[in-house]
Amino acid sequence: MKYFLLALAALTFVYPFIWMLSASLSAESGLGDLTLLPEQFTWNNYVTVFTKIPLGRAFLNSAFVAIITTGLVLITGAMVGYALARYEFVGRDWIFYAIIFTMTLPFQITLIPNYITMVRLGWIDTYLALIVPFSLSSLAVLLFRQAFQSLPQALIDAARIDGAGELRIIFQILVPNVLPTVLTITILTFMGLWNEALWPLIVIRDESTMTMPQLVTLFSVGGRAEGQLGVKIAAAVLLAVPVVILYLFFQKHFIRSMASSGLKD
Amino acid sequence: MANVTLTHIAKAYGNGPTVIRDVTIDVRDQEFVVLVGPSGCGKSTLLRMIAGLEDITSGDLLLDGKRINDLPPKDRDIAMVFQNYALYPHMTVFENMAFGLKLRNMAKADIRERVTQAARILEIENLLDRKPKDMSGGQRQRVAIGRAIVREPKVFLFDEPLSNLDAKLRGQTRIELQKLHRQLRATMIYVTHDQVEAMTLGDRIVVLRGGDVMQFDTPLTLYNRPANRFVAGFIGTPPMNFLPGQVRQVDGVRCFITAGVAMNIPITDVAQQTALTPYVGKLVTLGIRAEHLTVVSVNEQAVPLPVRIDALENMGNEALAYVTMGESRLVARLSPTDVLALAVGQSATLFLSTAHAHFFDDETELVIR
Ligand SMILES: Nc1ncnc2c1ncn2[C@@H]1O[C@H](COP(=O)(O)OP(=O)(O)O)[C@@H](O)[C@H]1O
Ligand SMILES: [Mg+2]
Repeated sequence: MKYFLLALAALTFVYPFIWMLSASLSAESGLGDLTLLPEQFTWNNYVTVFTKIPLGRAFLNSAFVAIITTGLVLITGAMVGYALARYEFVGRDWIFYAIIFTMTLPFQITLIPNYITMVRLGWIDTYLALIVPFSLSSLAVLLFRQAFQSLPQALIDAARIDGAGELRIIFQILVPNVLPTVLTITILTFMGLWNEALWPLIVIRDESTMTMPQLVTLFSVGGRAEGQLGVKIAAAVLLAVPVVILYLFFQKHFIRSMASSGLKD
Repeated sequence: MANVTLTHIAKAYGNGPTVIRDVTIDVRDQEFVVLVGPSGCGKSTLLRMIAGLEDITSGDLLLDGKRINDLPPKDRDIAMVFQNYALYPHMTVFENMAFGLKLRNMAKADIRERVTQAARILEIENLLDRKPKDMSGGQRQRVAIGRAIVREPKVFLFDEPLSNLDAKLRGQTRIELQKLHRQLRATMIYVTHDQVEAMTLGDRIVVLRGGDVMQFDTPLTLYNRPANRFVAGFIGTPPMNFLPGQVRQVDGVRCFITAGVAMNIPITDVAQQTALTPYVGKLVTLGIRAEHLTVVSVNEQAVPLPVRIDALENMGNEALAYVTMGESRLVARLSPTDVLALAVGQSATLFLSTAHAHFFDDETELVIR
């Protein structure tokens, strides 16, 4: 009985996904049914997507932006987290609370000010607009701070006596000892960036700089799919594939990341 | 050459209270100096200031005559061994030991040679590829010492390096540290709360209490000529016995009158008589070591004390008798055969000779000499 319920639950979750896959491989006429096997199997939807929009380019854009930004988030998060965990300075706690506070603000509130900043800086239609605003993450700061606090001070002292400077202490001594935290931050940040569609829609108008979610969204709702459901679904599948692959690689850590961050979105 | 001089060193953390008040000590080249004292007396703070891990609030720290107060740790030419070893968990033993050398841009071949040599001295050659988590506490401690040795520093600092080891291993490692000190001919400063460790390792010992130096001298001087009541009670196992009382003039002889049972103990030693002259009528404390309480009188001046036996511990090579006299609890170190004549709960007589006694001013706690 227990297993039956579990199986049912699993099916409920997985069904739309499988349907999506099968629909993307079906001819437009066979799409009405909620079937799990492709009707009149065809690659046509995918071919259409690739001929209509520069999806390859968008994939590269997305990957570039997500990888660079995640790297920056890790670097800045470790540095700020270290300072907050290990230095004593005036206003430290207030800075920490301020950083936590920004986590409670919904993205929509900062949307307009951020947009204006981008315009003033002349970053519209550049990668900078996609990368810089996200290169410091309060979640990363928080998680690194907690992780560094749990390491013994003697580790830092020993490295200092061995001749290591602060940056070396952070990246060569501390970070390698909090790899689960690094993975958590990497996964959460990367996923968040990969799926982000709203912000790029606001700051990018040039098709060659667009990220995948933006391009796919525009494609789906912007009329270029010409009402063809199968093509839209194919685009959506392509958008999901990288995250799914990532998931398969880091399944275990994915689960832990999600569990350890009841804080996020 | 490496001598370390601390002059009027003081330390307060932030705006907190002063934890080191006014410490002046000189550590000579190749000397093994132990800082000892109860937990929280400021030993680690002092050591960390020497290492450069804590700021010095006031005073001067000199290494070979050069003021190094403001030098960062890496430029001080010192190495430190920590209580919890503080090995880098993600590095192998070899990498742990090589890390400091790499940062000093030493050639790969030289690094390998130094690490191998240190590993040979410490007998950890077969562990070089292990990670810290795959080793026992004793092995980790060796690696931590090895990490210090390869640097060939001017000064070695140790912060309670043996306190996480079991008693047997601690004894062995103590002996090896002595050997190492002779072998390396390096200046070493060693922190411990264990007075046995201090007595066995130190050329000289700094006894600290509440951020103050109580006495700085050789182990034997601390034992035989303690400067104050604290040192007298801290150094030695079992601790020195203390009898509160008063100095009086009785029939022209200065006597120590114990409080409570009012025993009359004549002071026979001329030097002691002179020293105690200003104290006639004042409260003082008599201190006597356990081995100077005997079951038979060793000389005519020895005074018999009526005591009651509370407990006996016969270790075979020596025996301890825990006794009470009035309100005072005393412990005597006797021969294993002598105690056979004693029985718990019964009264007995122990002899005390003032020639071996120390007197302490009750107000200042300083020894009266
Ligand atoms: N980082 C610190 N901040 C504030 N007070 C400290 C700090 N480290 C130690 N202390 C205080 O300084 C005193 C001496 O500590 P410590 O040097 O660690 O003593 P010990 O090593 O002799 O046990 C203690 O009262 C302790 O509470
Ligand atoms: Mg300590």
